[in-house]
Amino acid sequence: MNAVITSFAAIRPGSCFVNGTEVCSFDTETGVSWFRQIYKFLQPDYPKFYKMDQLSQAAFLSVELLKQYGNRSIEVQQEDALAMVFANSESSSVTDLLFQDSYQHQGSPSPSLFVYTLPNIMLGELSIRNKWYGENMFAVFPKFALDFYSKNAVLLLNETISMVLCGWINVSPEKQEILVFTIEKETSGINWTEEQLKTWL
Amino acid sequence: MKTRVVYIGAESSVTPIGKSADDNFSAMAKGISAVRIRTEAGFHKQDLPLSAFEKKAYRLPFEELVMEAFDASLKGIDAHILESERTIVLISSTKGELAVSITHPFRSTLRHLTGKYLLKNEPVVISNACISGVAACNIAARYLTQGYFDHAVVIGCDVLSDFVIYGFQSLFAISQDVCKPFDKNRSGVVLGEGSAAVVLSVERNIFKEHPLELLGGAISNDANHISGPSRTGEGLFRSVRKTLDKHAVNPAEIGFISAHGTATLYNDEMESIAFSRLDMSDIPLNSFKGYIGHTLGAAGVLEIAYTMQSLRKQLLIRTHGFQETGTSGKISVISETAPASFSLSLKTASGFGGCNAALLIRKI
Repeated sequence: MNAVITSFAAIRPGSCFVNGTEVCSFDTETGVSWFRQIYKFLQPDYPKFYKMDQLSQAAFLSVELLKQYGNRSIEVQQEDALAMVFANSESSSVTDLLFQDSYQHQGSPSPSLFVYTLPNIMLGELSIRNKWYGENMFAVFPKFALDFYSKNAVLLLNETISMVLCGWINVSPEKQEILVFTIEKETSGINWTEEQLKTWL
Repeated sequence: MKTRVVYIGAESSVTPIGKSADDNFSAMAKGISAVRIRTEAGFHKQDLPLSAFEKKAYRLPFEELVMEAFDASLKGIDAHILESERTIVLISSTKGELAVSITHPFRSTLRHLTGKYLLKNEPVVISNACISGVAACNIAARYLTQGYFDHAVVIGCDVLSDFVIYGFQSLFAISQDVCKPFDKNRSGVVLGEGSAAVVLSVERNIFKEHPLELLGGAISNDANHISGPSRTGEGLFRSVRKTLDKHAVNPAEIGFISAHGTATLYNDEMESIAFSRLDMSDIPLNSFKGYIGHTLGAAGVLEIAYTMQSLRKQLLIRTHGFQETGTSGKISVISETAPASFSLSLKTASGFGGCNAALLIRKI
């Protein structure tokens, strides 16, 4: 079976890209968070977004971008048919630091931060938003490597899964790498390569 | 699609009640629990029940516990498999060595593991909250059945930290007493720490002791709430259903369920509903958390090791802390440790992020 990358979305400083084309830009100087600006552009009408930590916001927005501009067939996936394979190199450290600060310097441990101190929470947020009940896994390894995704995707596509939604999501003051993409069985001839994906990290 | 049989064996387990899977299982069979009141462990210096190693038992607890479980499991196999490019190591953990680096809690351990054992493939950390261990075994089983790798070592490990203890306190999820899975008076989790490892292989002869068979299962999300379980047990129901369907197994064939059983009000209630929806009300079920606490990312691998021991020794371990039925779904909680004759076990786990996982282990 040939599995191919059928679509991707990336958020970069100042711009959002879907399948390599810029779909919106935002101001990195105003002090208003990138993610709020992108949310306003996309208008998903999902107030729960404002409660999410930065990692979940990044995953949420990039998947909304992909749904709206990149790959309409994501929306028609039935309950268990879509699997998620996500990874990053920094786990949930951006929120871990905030939670640590809450009990070290702000008086008490914050429950609303603590619930986001696991990297797989973003998969829970995506599942809730899209009513996806399927396979979901989160891995941590040092550098983006397509091999991890394609291996797992092929194995899942060989089972009962029809689409694998993949993500590499790092958000920290030093590192913003926000990339989501879909892997499906080859049908249309579209196949983005690892090199093409890596240019957006 | 090519599928191959996956053998599982050489289980190890390092907790405050023992240094091997056999030690741990024997202690539990005698009713020994590692849970003790630890003074001033809480955020407001409260005393809290925990299953913890003695302070200073480990200098770098995460790394040392990972290595200890790994070494113990290697003794049970032909360790030459480590020299093979067809071998993958997966680590299941939620928080790694937080005390060393909050930003890169796994990095130094992974580097040392790769260097020490000259691993041919970079180990991968699976971090899916409390289902990490079951998820990692499912991922590894898929690699092996479909031929990407021939051997896998899955190591589960998490260690106690202020971070995790204060976090669970902030959610009001910690019991002030021993933990009482599925009991009417349950009041929350008791946290624990430890490590465990299992070896998966398509080659039966790498194991020194008879292996068991792993029937890799499925993961499902509740799609309901990030920190509370589904009221209908939807994700757990689906993960078990998909696992049974995958292997054409009927619930009546299952002789023992190693459930998640954290002893929080909502989790145990959810599990009882899912198991009764699955027609599993009469299958003997336990939670091991009363003995070693909830070890988060390590829990799945630890409990898989104990499930394997249960199958090998044909002994079902009582649910420590359970006295009186306290869930609305009908389940058969094991209340007396007793011999049993059975060949198929179900292991399940549920965790934050709404995730649920299941797998089956068969005695061969």
